[in-house]
Amino acid sequence: MVLVRRVDRHAPAPVSPRCGPRRLRSTGTGAGAPAAASGDGPGYRPTVVDVPAELADSAVGAPATAGSSPPSAEELALVQALRDGDQAAFVVLIDRYGSAMLRLARTYVATAEAAEDVVQETWLGVVRGIDRFEGRSSLKTWIFRILANRARTTGSRDARSLPFSGLTPDDPSDPTVEPERFTPDGRWAGHWAVPPTPLPEDRVLGLELRANLEAVIDGLPARQRAVIVLRDVEGLSATEASEVLGLSDANQRVLLHRARCRVRAQLETLVTDGGSRP
Amino acid sequence: MNAPLMACIDVVDLVTEWMEGALDEDHRGELEEHLVVCPDCTEFVRQLRLTQQSLANLRATALASVVRDRLLEEFARWTDQRQG
Repeated sequence: MVLVRRVDRHAPAPVSPRCGPRRLRSTGTGAGAPAAASGDGPGYRPTVVDVPAELADSAVGAPATAGSSPPSAEELALVQALRDGDQAAFVVLIDRYGSAMLRLARTYVATAEAAEDVVQETWLGVVRGIDRFEGRSSLKTWIFRILANRARTTGSRDARSLPFSGLTPDDPSDPTVEPERFTPDGRWAGHWAVPPTPLPEDRVLGLELRANLEAVIDGLPARQRAVIVLRDVEGLSATEASEVLGLSDANQRVLLHRARCRVRAQLETLVTDGGSRP
Repeated sequence: MNAPLMACIDVVDLVTEWMEGALDEDHRGELEEHLVVCPDCTEFVRQLRLTQQSLANLRATALASVVRDRLLEEFARWTDQRQG
């Protein structure tokens, strides 16, 4: 059996994409000549966009944010309404993004109060800067970028909480699928020994587990939490999320992978335990 | 029955890259062949999609009214300044 094992094509990632510690499998032909990532998927772009300065949308020479979707017609209407001082437009936006912004802010700062302050400052920045919004990215991306910059600044003043400083890896020894769940050796080495416990869709999507799910997100390492909030809770594209967080696409994907695997594992535990605990 | 080319542990490892469309063609082919014959990995993929869906359900959770009220006050102040 020859398994063409992928070699790491990407720039060194701060965390391993692996779900659990394991041996490298044999490599076959082709492994030594890594192809560029095919990039044929939705939202995938090889470009790495640097962390933009706050309100960089209007900065001269700002990169034409490749891969970012332009603002929708609805967003452009909201922008105009904000410029006109229309409170209803503001309400639409804070109700749409407020909770996700709080969640994201919370990954940078130490307390819920500090996160609320960051969100408030962000909205002030949004309304004060709305005349400078030129529509190079979606309004959503623009707002989250302002938030991430604010939160980063606040977080870096806060000695207790520096989740994004440097490249502090999330704990790579914490497997997202336990290695014991795979057959260790023999013909079926690396195949499921303890397959995933079925997750009933109605339970997972039901209201009952909602509070648990919030707690699971809150328990993720900061960078995983930031990525999964933007991608899966808020529905940003890979490119948009990478841009907001100042991550390479590859690192964004690694963090997303780890985060999703962990949430899945927690759901499995919750469903297996049969009860929802607050 | 022969074991599939790619092991389950590799599928688990690469699945997000696959879902994101970032996997090169060779690995994508192997992974998809594996899914055809492996109900457990198919279930794993289904569960990751279900996980995504459950997270999307948290979108637009209501803001605490105290936070919301504060924001609306700030907005009113801003429009006053702008017009004044």
